Amino acid sequence: MDDRRSETEEQRLLLRKEAVRGEFGLSVDELSGQHLYACYQCGNCSAGCPLASEMDILPSMVMRLAQLGQKDELLASRTIWICASCFQCTVRCPRGIDIQQVMDALRQMALREKVDHFGPDDIDPGLAATVPQPGLVSAYRKLST
Amino acid sequence: MINLPYYPGCTLKQRSSHLESSAIAAMEKLGVRLSEIDPWTCCGAVPPPSSERIMNLIAPVRMLRALRDSGENRLVTICDFCYNVLKRANHSMRTDDLRRKRVNAFLRENEPVRDYLPEEEPYGLPDYSGEVRVYHLMEYIRDEIGYERLSKEVSGRLEGMPIASYYGCVMLRPRKEIELDDPENPTIMEAFVSALHATPVPYPYRTECCGSYLSVSAPDASSRLAAKILGSARDHGAKGVVVSCPLCFYNLESRQEQIARSSPGFKPMPVIFFTQLLAIALGIDDPDVLGFGMHRTSLEGLLGASAIGAASGSGREKDR
Repeated sequence: MDDRRSETEEQRLLLRKEAVRGEFGLSVDELSGQHLYACYQCGNCSAGCPLASEMDILPSMVMRLAQLGQKDELLASRTIWICASCFQCTVRCPRGIDIQQVMDALRQMALREKVDHFGPDDIDPGLAATVPQPGLVSAYRKLST
Repeated sequence: MINLPYYPGCTLKQRSSHLESSAIAAMEKLGVRLSEIDPWTCCGAVPPPSSERIMNLIAPVRMLRALRDSGENRLVTICDFCYNVLKRANHSMRTDDLRRKRVNAFLRENEPVRDYLPEEEPYGLPDYSGEVRVYHLMEYIRDEIGYERLSKEVSGRLEGMPIASYYGCVMLRPRKEIELDDPENPTIMEAFVSALHATPVPYPYRTECCGSYLSVSAPDASSRLAAKILGSARDHGAKGVVVSCPLCFYNLESRQEQIARSSPGFKPMPVIFFTQLLAIALGIDDPDVLGFGMHRTSLEGLLGASAIGAASGSGREKDR
């Protein structure tokens, strides 16, 4: 009985007042220059995202979790590192939210707290010798501290 | 000959030099000399991560401001990333009062310290507020040369060639800052292809991301995207794909071996820069200018029969 209870608890989000009304949402707002609560969960961003199939949390879910202050869930997700900043979600958002900026903000918060997601040691030397500079610069600026 | 200030950026000087050489030669044929601005620095290369509100603007605004101070009011660039960065820096100088003041104040502090009183007050120059118009070369061709004139200037070497246009991400988006074309239903590249007498091929993946920098950090995901884009172009009857961005070119062209390895059934697809296509249409044959040696995927499926064949005087036409 006790086991079952802890299992369901693990799967639930902890919607404590401190998390939902906490610092996290405000810092995402500040870093991204966007207003998280403008999102009304239409799902257009997730529907159009070319990388949705590679993500563990869809872009619209990222927005919802950020509204609810679910920092740990977001910063541990695969999504923030697989987003290629292509601005598809940004041009399609009916609320005018620059969702790509929200992703950038989350990446920065993760980088501030943890180790690099992708550093110079992770790149294949053959690739480094051929990939155009914008690819290298983008990868390092967005994915490493 | 019109002198047009031109910003090359890092990639065009090295890893995509064929994009630059073909552009300079083709524009010369159209009566426009791309004259490199001096000095130039890296523009930052990446659409700025969020919190860097000022620093990412310094490099592009410094160049744009120097250009304005020299009396120019336009600048053309070819790389999509440079275009995106310069255009967005310009947009924030036009619309964001606070950032404009901060960036200009920083640039003034950085001006050389003089030990004499200059005749003209160097700090008297007004703040840079987005006066220079930044063009993408494709945009310059559309707005200043015009497709009507272009279609008269080119030969019929590309007549009827089915070519799919690939836009990628940063050339069109974000819409309010770039304002080049409709990001959902753009027409600029198709109109360009038509003006060269080739046949534009519509297909659904033309504005879908090719993975951008994921070819560095998550190559498999990038391969899957590229396979989808190229496969869709092929299914709709294209014999080649035209691009304008060095990173799109890398992801769609140079990585086709890796793409084939991870996507069974994938067939090689010729990919070409729009400037190379323009140069061919204008009758340029010089292999150093066209730079086909930089391609890793054969262009024969696209150019073999018509343009390259005609250029090298293949006997096929005569035999008939």
